[in-house]
Amino acid sequence: MFQHALAQIDLFFTWQNGILWLRAMVTTLSMAALGCGLGFALACVLVYLRSWPSIALLPVRILLIAYVEIFRRIPFLVLIFLVLFGTRALGLRMPLFWIACITVTVMATAFIAEIVRAGYESVHRTQWESATVMNFGRLRTVLFVVLPQAWTVIIPPAFSYFVMFIKETSLASQVGVYELMQTGKYFNNVGISPFLAFGTCLLIYFALSYPLTRLGWHIERRLKHRFRRIAGPVLPSASVTASL
Amino acid sequence: MDYTFQWGVAFKYLPDLLGGAWVTFHLTFIGFWIGLAAAVFLAVGQTYGGRGLRRAISAYVVFFTNTPSLVTAFFIFYGLPEVGILWSPYVCILVNLILNAAAFLTDVIRGGVASVRIAEMEAAETLGFSMLQKIRYVIVPHIAKVLYAPISNLYIVFILGSALAAIFGVEELTGTAFNIASDTFRTIEIYTLAAGIYVAMTIIASTILALAGRWAFRVKARIF
Repeated sequence: MFQHALAQIDLFFTWQNGILWLRAMVTTLSMAALGCGLGFALACVLVYLRSWPSIALLPVRILLIAYVEIFRRIPFLVLIFLVLFGTRALGLRMPLFWIACITVTVMATAFIAEIVRAGYESVHRTQWESATVMNFGRLRTVLFVVLPQAWTVIIPPAFSYFVMFIKETSLASQVGVYELMQTGKYFNNVGISPFLAFGTCLLIYFALSYPLTRLGWHIERRLKHRFRRIAGPVLPSASVTASL
Repeated sequence: MDYTFQWGVAFKYLPDLLGGAWVTFHLTFIGFWIGLAAAVFLAVGQTYGGRGLRRAISAYVVFFTNTPSLVTAFFIFYGLPEVGILWSPYVCILVNLILNAAAFLTDVIRGGVASVRIAEMEAAETLGFSMLQKIRYVIVPHIAKVLYAPISNLYIVFILGSALAAIFGVEELTGTAFNIASDTFRTIEIYTLAAGIYVAMTIIASTILALAGRWAFRVKARIF
């Protein structure tokens, strides 16, 4: 039953293959990190623009809301094909790695914008008002009053989205990015047993994702401990609800 | 830009795409309900079970929530034939979806079970409720209200996640779009149309779920 897999162990666990897996791991991590980092920055800008209460900016607000609603509802696989063929049609010959990064950015912006908005809303209205009374401008209110209070609400779910995107980028293998999943497929294609090839792949993903999930819980607990303002019933932890 | 859009070609294939959307719908619907049923048992086992059972369930949950469902799908799709089990792609994807859904839902439901306050259980005890009555009148109404929003959210996530079935040759929405795009080369139009159908599908699903939640559990669920 498993003789096929067992016979290949010597063939499979060599240091050259180890380097191949390691490079794939770096690719996977950097796709998720770059995409989520950029997405986080863009989401902050987006929510800042959206919170601007001017009638002249109403079309911008509607556009931003539509952006968030639409891109949270398109599967990664469909979006990555759209980005791939869209950039090709525009005449941009980007490496596939950047195609995947753009896709993650587009999706992460939409997801994280929702979190940042929830963070804004967690800050009481009187805080905004008192900042206005103190003659703070919009940007200064956000930077010095709202964000310092909101980031405890923003960081834990945003972090769990980062972990989610590490797993989601496995779909980037479908356009040919050489990351973990693609490496697993490569080994399977050259005749390594699927138990070994995909099993290793599974274990590496787990080794990446699990410590980061634990780190997320740790951050969440630390933040809750420091700012004990959340009273009432114990709800499912923020990172659990956010990863949905 | 030297690409001319030909939306007419894409819209000619709209019925095929909608047929694919139907497959996506029943794939996720079946997977979600079986997963939810399994998750209820697993969550109860994790809360009230013995030590060994608790450990086993947490190991299962931690494993499936921390690995991409694409990789577990590959494992099932290519691994099982190796040990002599041959399933159709649809069944493989469905099993994969159930395994993943059960893990995520267990995680969520356990949080809800933990949110029932001890005082409530003690009050039920004082009133002489049996275990079944406690579950029926205390635990379920309480956790239904807390969990309705995250669970209906997860359903949307499963609809989006089921797109990976296309890779294994299941003709659901993305799979149909794949095939049509490679027939006609109108890639951007076809995928935009597929994306639009996904958006419409998930908005309809959220709306129905929000209305049902409001009617059944008086949950103020947001659609947007």
